[in-house]
Amino acid sequence: MANRKIQSFRRYVLAFIIGTTLFLLGFFIVNSLSHIEYQRISDFNNKLSYKIFEDKISYSFFGRKICSDETYRSISEDLSIQGRIIDDLERKFGKENAKVLERKKFYSLVLLEHFEFITLKNEECPKKIHTILFFYSNDPRYLEDSENVGRVLSSVYERNNDLVIYSFDINLDSDLINKLKERYYVQFPLEIIIDEHVKILNVKDIEEIERHLD
Amino acid sequence: MELIKIVIYTSIYIGLIATSFFILSFLSNKRKKTILYNDNELPFVSIMIPALNEEESVAKTLDSILAINYPKNKFEIVFIDDGSSDNTLKIAKKYKKYGIRIFHKKNDPIGRKGSALNFALKKVKGEIVVSMDADTFVAPDSLKKMVRYFKDPNVMCVSPGITIYQPRNLFQKIQYIEYLMGLFLRKAFASLNAIHITPGAFSAYRKNFFDKYGGYELGNLTEDLEVSLRIQYNHYIIQNAPDAAVYTIAPDNFYDLFKQRRRWYVGLMKNTWKYKKIFSPKYGDLGMFVFPIAWISIFFSVFVTIYLFFKTLIEARKEILFLQSIDFDFPNLLSLNYYVFERWVFLFFSNPIIIFIFFFMIIIGVYLIYASRKLGHISKWYFNLPLFFIFFALLFGFWWTLSVLYIIFNRGIKWR
Repeated sequence: MANRKIQSFRRYVLAFIIGTTLFLLGFFIVNSLSHIEYQRISDFNNKLSYKIFEDKISYSFFGRKICSDETYRSISEDLSIQGRIIDDLERKFGKENAKVLERKKFYSLVLLEHFEFITLKNEECPKKIHTILFFYSNDPRYLEDSENVGRVLSSVYERNNDLVIYSFDINLDSDLINKLKERYYVQFPLEIIIDEHVKILNVKDIEEIERHLD
Repeated sequence: MELIKIVIYTSIYIGLIATSFFILSFLSNKRKKTILYNDNELPFVSIMIPALNEEESVAKTLDSILAINYPKNKFEIVFIDDGSSDNTLKIAKKYKKYGIRIFHKKNDPIGRKGSALNFALKKVKGEIVVSMDADTFVAPDSLKKMVRYFKDPNVMCVSPGITIYQPRNLFQKIQYIEYLMGLFLRKAFASLNAIHITPGAFSAYRKNFFDKYGGYELGNLTEDLEVSLRIQYNHYIIQNAPDAAVYTIAPDNFYDLFKQRRRWYVGLMKNTWKYKKIFSPKYGDLGMFVFPIAWISIFFSVFVTIYLFFKTLIEARKEILFLQSIDFDFPNLLSLNYYVFERWVFLFFSNPIIIFIFFFMIIIGVYLIYASRKLGHISKWYFNLPLFFIFFALLFGFWWTLSVLYIIFNRGIKWR
């Protein structure tokens, strides 16, 4: 008959240490990758804000003609993806992460800067660019619906050329966002404001939006 | 944190600890001295080959066993035709001239393969008996490498280094990696005396064990597994000879593979229940770690599979509703650009589960390198490994979930 005692308790302790180290290493790698991404997106965000700022100064200070400028769409696409990645980073690092919150506030500022530029463009130029302000929420109760409305808006964006969409986190602790909410009487998550005067809550389908973009 | 994430991360954590433990056990085994028979001490061996409708492979099986490198006066081959309705018996009879003892018996639908093996056990002369399937082939030195371990009187069974014969399609390639991975694990389990599954395709037993504890259990879905657990239950040793290469033909389609796995898993559940006392400190590492870990991993796998099944249904419904809301405008929905790709790459690589999958891929890569050292060249394992990772976890969970349902609803399982 074979000896059936546990062969080595030391081996169990060692396995526990190695297993735990590998487990923590996995999260450490993920955290490091997220930090690299954060740094990259921050640099990108800074460059973009510089570009918007430069365009505005060129117009207001040096009288540059803005009506022929068509770069707004590519800038808005860049902004859109940055917003999504910042939200992804927020989910990775947590809602309370100071670095991400700071970046998010700065990003919202850049969005508003661009929004102001487009508003200016609409006042000055014959061609009308539609704007949509979307107030989403990363609160678990609204997260899924926020993502769905976001996807509907992406489709609207792809189908309509002269359109820029700005997404703001309704829960962001920022004076600017609060003022924006006050200005457009936004009270609930998932509200969208089309061309500064049409308000829709909880968009159900694409036509609900597109009928206001004609 | 969601329950599913807790379950997944817990299973990963336990998996990493268990893997570390098995690797450490494997390494410690290298330092152990094993008692082995010399060439002049080798005992008499009886090779039992039951066959039911195996006309396609039986000749190759008999050719391979006739070519083994084992003293000619120290082994016999006993072939039992288990009531085949094809040409199996006719082909086998051609080998009578090489000294193979051929028997024919009526098929026993209840006793199945166990009945044929018990029939053979009454005819054999060997101190060691080998159960061999008629769709299995052996390398010439394999038998000798296995039988050497029987010098230790506590060794009641020796398992080989089993792999798939010429894997061709996706299903066989997935099984190929699974079998190769098993080579390392079986050796690690051997160091803990915790092997609880031996391949029915080719395993060697001490005949005394059957004389003392009875033959194969009739009607058992996995009679080989039952014998392995019975050996462990009675505190004997199951050894492993990873360099004893044995090749078996694997199911090559989804349905045949599913039938095989359903039989194995239902058999494992029933036999585990029968020998549930093994879950005890009296059985050392097997009872306290190896056996519980195997069942915990199965539990997690079934949980995740059921969750994913319902989650997929719910998500599919939501997706249809969403597509309806955008007038099924696929071209615009699928508009891909550099940023979409970039975000996908970021989300993919910053997902801890993906990082842990890479960890396990590296570990299994090491297992496969070990297998290639033992069995010789392994073709294109680096191509088959990603296939294994993509499909095996899903298939494993699916097979287990259905097997659990079969047990719950008490559905009968056919042997083949």
